[in-house]
Amino acid sequence: MATQHSRAAARLMISPSVILLLGWMLIPLGLTLYFSFLRYNLLMPGANPFVGWENYSYFLSDPAFKAAIVNTLLLVVGVLVITVVGGTLLAILLDQAMWGQGIVRILVIAPFFVMPTVSALVWKNMFMNPVNGLFAHLAKFLGLPPFDFFAAAPLASIIGIVSWQWLPFATLILLTAMQSLDSERLEAAEMDGAGPLSRFWYMVLPHLSRAITVVILIQTIFLLSVFAEILVTTNGGPGNASTNLTYLVYAESLLRFDVGTGSAGGVVAIILANIVAIFLMRMIGKNLDA
Amino acid sequence: MGRITLDKVRKAFGDVEVIPPLDLTIEEGEFVVFVGPSGCGKSTLLRLIAGLEDVSSGEIRIDGQNATDLPPAKRRLAMVFQSYALYPHMTVRKNIAFPLKMAGLDQAAQDKKVEGAASVLNLTDYLERRPGQLSGGQRQRVAIGRAIVREPAAFLFDEPLSNLDAALRVGMRMEISELHERLKTTMIYVTHDQVEAMTMADKIVVLRAGNIEQVGSPLELYRAPRNVFVAGFIGSPKMNLIDGEEAAKRNAHTIGIRPEHITPSPDAGTWEGTVGVAEHLGSDTFFHVHLPGREEPMTVRAGGEVSLHHGDKIFLTPDETQLHRFDAQGLRI
Ligand SMILES: Nc1ncnc2c1ncn2[C@@H]1O[C@H](COP(=O)(O)OP(=O)(O)O)[C@@H](O)[C@H]1O
Ligand SMILES: [Mg+2]
Repeated sequence: MATQHSRAAARLMISPSVILLLGWMLIPLGLTLYFSFLRYNLLMPGANPFVGWENYSYFLSDPAFKAAIVNTLLLVVGVLVITVVGGTLLAILLDQAMWGQGIVRILVIAPFFVMPTVSALVWKNMFMNPVNGLFAHLAKFLGLPPFDFFAAAPLASIIGIVSWQWLPFATLILLTAMQSLDSERLEAAEMDGAGPLSRFWYMVLPHLSRAITVVILIQTIFLLSVFAEILVTTNGGPGNASTNLTYLVYAESLLRFDVGTGSAGGVVAIILANIVAIFLMRMIGKNLDA
Repeated sequence: MGRITLDKVRKAFGDVEVIPPLDLTIEEGEFVVFVGPSGCGKSTLLRLIAGLEDVSSGEIRIDGQNATDLPPAKRRLAMVFQSYALYPHMTVRKNIAFPLKMAGLDQAAQDKKVEGAASVLNLTDYLERRPGQLSGGQRQRVAIGRAIVREPAAFLFDEPLSNLDAALRVGMRMEISELHERLKTTMIYVTHDQVEAMTMADKIVVLRAGNIEQVGSPLELYRAPRNVFVAGFIGSPKMNLIDGEEAAKRNAHTIGIRPEHITPSPDAGTWEGTVGVAEHLGSDTFFHVHLPGREEPMTVRAGGEVSLHHGDKIFLTPDETQLHRFDAQGLRI
């Protein structure tokens, strides 16, 4: 891409995909913005007058909004902590030479291939069900009262399910990073007097930092919009205990049929996601340089 | 400080015995070079001494103390790896300070030692850089710096110069020799390059397939190689080895003669041949001379200014007092 000519040609060649992507993004965004300024309720057909910021003030002053923000953050941070810590430990474990390594690796990666709706249903009905679930049986076997996960700790249960799904992703990325760590470097550290913990802290962790950054960035994007797991388990309840921003927008537009407020919520969600993204890039994006 | 004894040390990877039982003593303050062709087990032997591999049997003693089961960190040995194994995410200063930090030294003491090592190794201007911003020779020095700040009982070097270009290699060779003169610490140096071995060692250990072929000073090995392998391995250009009739005439299975112990002459001599390729080094010229009935050419040293041309007829006369004779087992007679 050195000459003027080749640069112009390059721009021309990538323009179709850029235009397509822009259209793909801008048209829905424009429509959402447009709807968010209308009074547009599917239960009251007729005129859709322009109402200015009314939808926004309605959405932002809704007590469910604050709960949803807190829940969204808890969900994202909770899952990130569990998957990054768990993924690092699993990656170290899987990096050791052991018998049946190939099969174990496939088993660890398997949850990633289960679609979110299915995995949430499996967890809900087969593991966490207070009557028939595996955990309930286990509790009974130990003589404890069964724990009703989705009633007593709905958000924590969802964090658990989502973590289970994303753990393989984190493990996989961190494992490949582990494998690129030069073993002579670890041996040099060992000869320099670094014990296992020091070697982890001073050699392995800095080496993994870039991979951890990638895991955090990618997962955050997906975790901000967790939806299926909530829909099939708790429906955002009890109350608003497990409602995140995505689910709240859904509830506004498709349960209360208020498209205008739903759109306003969508726009708020976009803004918040961008704030989080800028924040993240500032904080850890520098790990990706060099 | 720094006397290392190997007693019947043996190493096998699974069924493959890489080091058959081997005895060796490295005296305090010695510069010992392990030399041998690639894959002969030099690195493995070094790693056994370092403690990075477990011995299959036998005993390693450091200063009289049994170190066979000591972890690497407890052996007071410092190693310089072929790949340097620097810590890329740390500055040069932190790299060199790392062993001190692990030993729990306070910051002031760390700084003092790091700066001392840096000035010895001409690294003072680079202390705040990362290894990725240094040249090969500088990285090599950082690796050495990281080793010397620990004040170990012995240094272990595994082919430390093989990633450098020829000119740098000669320079670093001198620097390492200088360092040994100054520190007087035991050094064990592994290389496949016999020139490095000859120029640096107090004592050379020639290895082949894990066996020690000969131990001795560079000149001992050069003057009296114990067998054909050592004769052919030590010295550059290589010793000329002759089998068959010429050897039988001198009551040997194989005879060896170094290039400098052959006198070329245009009109009379013991062997007659034709001149092949000539290597002009300025001070010396090495001629390859083809003798009838011999596949490999003989290498002959002549002065810098000799007018012999490709295809010329030539006579060679070996200096009979400098002839090496070997029996059918390849051992020196
Ligand atoms: N970890 C290992 N597992 C199996 N074989 C090994 C291992 N390390 C070295 N070897 C074998 O031991 C022999 C000696 O290797 P090495 O000590 O690295 O040779 P050198 O350093 O002299 O070139 C080689 O044949 C090599 O394949
Ligand atoms: Mg080697």
